Amino acid sequence: MKRLVYFFLCLFFVLITIPGPVLSAEKPIVIGAPLATAFLYGWDAERGIKLAVEEINAKGGVNVAGAKRPFKVEVIDTRDLEPGVPVSEALLAVEKLILEKKADFIIGGPVRSEAALAAMDLLSKHKKVSIVTTGTLTPLYNKRVADNYNKYKYCFRNSNSSLNMMNEFITFLEDMKKSYGFNKAYIMVQDVEHARKGGEFMKKGLTDKGWQVIDMKIYPTGNTDYSLGLTDAKNKGAQILFIWMDMPESAVLLKQWSDMKIKAIPVGFVCAAEQPGFWKATGGKGEYLIVNLCNGGNAPAKITPWTMKFVEAYKKRWGLEPEGYGTSSSYMAVYQLKDAIERAGSIDPEKVIKALETQDLMGVYGRMRFDKSHQIIPSYDPKEGAVTCIFQWQAGKRVQVFPPKVAEGKAMLPPWMK
Amino acid sequence: MEIIVYGIINSITLSLISLGFTLVYSISRLPNFAHGALYITTGYIAWLFMNKFEGFPYPFAIFIAIAITCIIGALIYRFILIRIRGMEISEIIATYAIGLAILEGLRWGGLRGMTFTLPTFSAGSVNILGTNIDHQRLIVVGVGICTFILLYLFTHFNKIGLALRGIAQDERAAMMLGIDSDTTAIISLAIGSGLAGFAAVVLLPLGNIIVEAGYNVLIFAIAVCVIGGLGSWGGTILASFIIGFAQILTEAFLSSHYQMVVALLAIIITLLIKPSGIFGKQKELEERV
Repeated sequence: MKRLVYFFLCLFFVLITIPGPVLSAEKPIVIGAPLATAFLYGWDAERGIKLAVEEINAKGGVNVAGAKRPFKVEVIDTRDLEPGVPVSEALLAVEKLILEKKADFIIGGPVRSEAALAAMDLLSKHKKVSIVTTGTLTPLYNKRVADNYNKYKYCFRNSNSSLNMMNEFITFLEDMKKSYGFNKAYIMVQDVEHARKGGEFMKKGLTDKGWQVIDMKIYPTGNTDYSLGLTDAKNKGAQILFIWMDMPESAVLLKQWSDMKIKAIPVGFVCAAEQPGFWKATGGKGEYLIVNLCNGGNAPAKITPWTMKFVEAYKKRWGLEPEGYGTSSSYMAVYQLKDAIERAGSIDPEKVIKALETQDLMGVYGRMRFDKSHQIIPSYDPKEGAVTCIFQWQAGKRVQVFPPKVAEGKAMLPPWMK
Repeated sequence: MEIIVYGIINSITLSLISLGFTLVYSISRLPNFAHGALYITTGYIAWLFMNKFEGFPYPFAIFIAIAITCIIGALIYRFILIRIRGMEISEIIATYAIGLAILEGLRWGGLRGMTFTLPTFSAGSVNILGTNIDHQRLIVVGVGICTFILLYLFTHFNKIGLALRGIAQDERAAMMLGIDSDTTAIISLAIGSGLAGFAAVVLLPLGNIIVEAGYNVLIFAIAVCVIGGLGSWGGTILASFIIGFAQILTEAFLSSHYQMVVALLAIIITLLIKPSGIFGKQKELEERV
């Protein structure tokens, strides 16, 4: 019995003398993260935000006019990527973060564009500075800020917009044209707003550049057979298969493409192909697929000195590589907010907005600056702006192939296309 | 040629998805709205065995997954549906709630993302009359035809199968001959769930195991059964071919994104012209009475 008492006394002594993480006694700054946590774009963003918060808190927190304040994250499931869930659910989630969880800032979502657009009024009403980092690709988001600055000045986006992604795709495909002489494209998109718009934009953009767009097929969400479309593409001599889908069944398309040995290289925005597990899931049949991950750092690459540090820290914390779109931007948003608060010396929204507007920070995927519409300034050079990540699946790895300044390999063609 | 080949594949896929739902309804008059959830559960269980136990043989994983799904189906009847049997609205609400609980439970338990897949039984593809078909889809066709034949043999030449048919034809008369209604309902739920599971292990290697697929499977199973006539096996197969070919023709000549519209439109048209479905007798009998 005596020995047991000694043991517990020693244990108690050890526990109270172990130095804990450096935490400030100051009131925490609450970051509200409205995310669709059951989906890749939600859970990866959550991990990115938490990783950044842990790093910042471990170093003492945020310096607000001399006082070190830690960050605290409150995550709420918006469910906005689930089929049939109305936009109002996401709005309720955002309002709950603001009113019940007393969020000082919002980072992350809502993830679905429609919900994010609807939330802009809510953010404006409650004067909450928000940085959208994942899911919302619509150019309308920053256009609204530009059109009505006084109302929507609280809204920032540090991830890519679909308009810019299209330009990246067209530049990339023009490079492919020069290298391989390709000029025939076949478009396959999902029957959702952003994908249809993406397909139409690509059709026009490629036609303007002298490409022949053979056809544009729109598939319903949940479609599991693409044989007819692929056969049509094959028969009509397509060389590029442009895909824009965020449904899991797009993996079927890639499997069929590989089985049918279609002589057209698949390029696009394919959510199912973003995760490292895609390779195993398709049994390697997704090899040669080229995917746009929206922002650098969502897959390993040497874009800036911070990129691989982030990737390694993420792997150490979560046990796997960053999985897809929304990870690096969510991580960076916390650092951008920290920088803005420290320069503003306050968490007052007006002061933080001014600080974010004048921010110039070298981040995970390049130089981070916002334009007048509060959209991150994109560039093909990380020294000039935020860089995208277009990668190709090569021998089980995601190899960055565009933009050329940060590419780690060249886009390759499958053996049956040579 | 592609339209014929892929029309057949699509039709057999639809009938495989719907057979379990039809079987349960035809025998015990229970609309099993947990059908889609059981489909996904089987795929997920098979995936768990394959991925959590290194080197676990694929056929055993499939067998265990289907067996577990059969047991789940039987338990659903034994502990829940038995109490509300005969109350149609309650049956629908209860089975739909069970389905929701299973699917959302799976999501909560970790079935999230797009990397849950089962391997195909055979890789590669063949060219048949100028149409490229992957091996797995050919297997789907073969397995589908075999399933129809085996089910026919089971219900016509096996004692249990004959008992099931007896209950389906006239429950009171069958009970007078010593066939227990609850026992046959348990068996029908078990076999129906097993058929959902069987469809899953054959069809899921073509895509991913995702929660949303459970809802889609339920929609298509209901569409096929309503058009064919609830509880009619022949109607199920015929309706599968009607919807299957209609979808392929829509994709070929109209646009692929109208495929779901075609299925739902077919339900509306059927309900307008023949409310009991193509081979359905229930409504007609009620009207005559």
